[in-house]
Amino acid sequence: MTNEAFTQLVDAHYAPLYRFALSLARNGSDAGDLVQQTFYIWATKGHGLRELSKAKSWLFTTLYREFLRGRRRDSRSSSLEDLPPGEKEPAAEDVERVSRIDAALVMSALQTVDEAFRAPLTLFYIEDMSYQEIADTLDVPIGTVMSRLSRGKAQLRTAFERAESPGPKVFPFPGEKGARAS
Amino acid sequence: MTIDEAKFILSAYRPNGSDAGVPAFGDALRMAASDPSLSAWFAQSRAHDAAVAGKLRQIAPPAGLREAILAGAHVSDSQRSHGPGLAWLAGLAAAAALAFVLFSMKAPARPETGAAAFASFAINDMAYEKHGGRGEPASALVAQLETKGARMPGAEQIDFEKLRDTGCRTLNLAGHDVIEVCFSRDGATFHLYVTRRDGPVGDSVARGPSFITEAAGAAAVWSDSRFDYAIASAAGAEAIRRLL
Repeated sequence: MTNEAFTQLVDAHYAPLYRFALSLARNGSDAGDLVQQTFYIWATKGHGLRELSKAKSWLFTTLYREFLRGRRRDSRSSSLEDLPPGEKEPAAEDVERVSRIDAALVMSALQTVDEAFRAPLTLFYIEDMSYQEIADTLDVPIGTVMSRLSRGKAQLRTAFERAESPGPKVFPFPGEKGARAS
Repeated sequence: MTIDEAKFILSAYRPNGSDAGVPAFGDALRMAASDPSLSAWFAQSRAHDAAVAGKLRQIAPPAGLREAILAGAHVSDSQRSHGPGLAWLAGLAAAAALAFVLFSMKAPARPETGAAAFASFAINDMAYEKHGGRGEPASALVAQLETKGARMPGAEQIDFEKLRDTGCRTLNLAGHDVIEVCFSRDGATFHLYVTRRDGPVGDSVARGPSFITEAAGAAAVWSDSRFDYAIASAAGAEAIRRLL
């Protein structure tokens, strides 16, 4: 693969891959690491993929596997049996609520959804993937994808409600100085 | 098929309508067409999905990520093209480059927006990006910034559109324009970043300056009625504090 083709591949996919990674890793620096690691693996192994049309799916699958590999090291993943059921159905105010809050808060709410639901939900929202594509990317059965989408969406709506409730949003800084006239 | 079963299936239906012809949705779609309550639920669900998807797509990757990816891959490419005798050297270079790019992204976990994110964004951009490309309207601003003892500019000295449209270096933070102007004072280089108050930083920036220090340098962030500002410098927080 030429440098130019690789640059095009990066330009086409690094932003959605970062969003996917951010939803999984739940912080920007780990998300950046995951995206870099994914393209590094592509550069060392994936460039041999015969059908470039499958590059997108390959990249998302690889990123997800890298994330799971890291999670296994941490040994903190929960089994599906432990997960609570979905809670809430969509209402008109839910749509208005999402429109009101900013993108970062939407991502923060998504990051509170249980991990097993979060991955399919993110691919559904960010990449417009079909349930079949999500099943292929995450290597899970179609029925499982549908179940996780349904329950994940319910959890997400509940998370939006919590996100909009009043709470501290100020970041503490050291070395605060007196107010400055503008 | 029950209503609940239809809802379960339709939860996987993409809001842009791409799944209209997919057989797996056929029965559930027909049921939604004939059942008013299911139809209303489906419309709400799709509107909600579209709103969430639209918001999530506004999240922008951090500055420098693309370049870090390309740099890491470039070294790995060199590794493949060298003969076996140099493989260890190329491997070492690849490892070093990867370690560098991974280290460069290893800032402490921070929110993606807000004062801390803006400060971190400024430090990362200052440390890892190329600078320059200043437009003519920035000259007066730079002269003011470089005047010994002068205070930092306020809203009345910043013509955001003019600076952006005439060639000042413009960056992107969470989908919003951030203009950068570099200047020197007392032998140190500083990078001023300005974004509109309705952008990604918002109300989390206090009027008074707040400081953050990372391995690559320090930044101060503050705001006025129209803009959020960040100044980053490798010279450290004390050097920035003397400007304010």
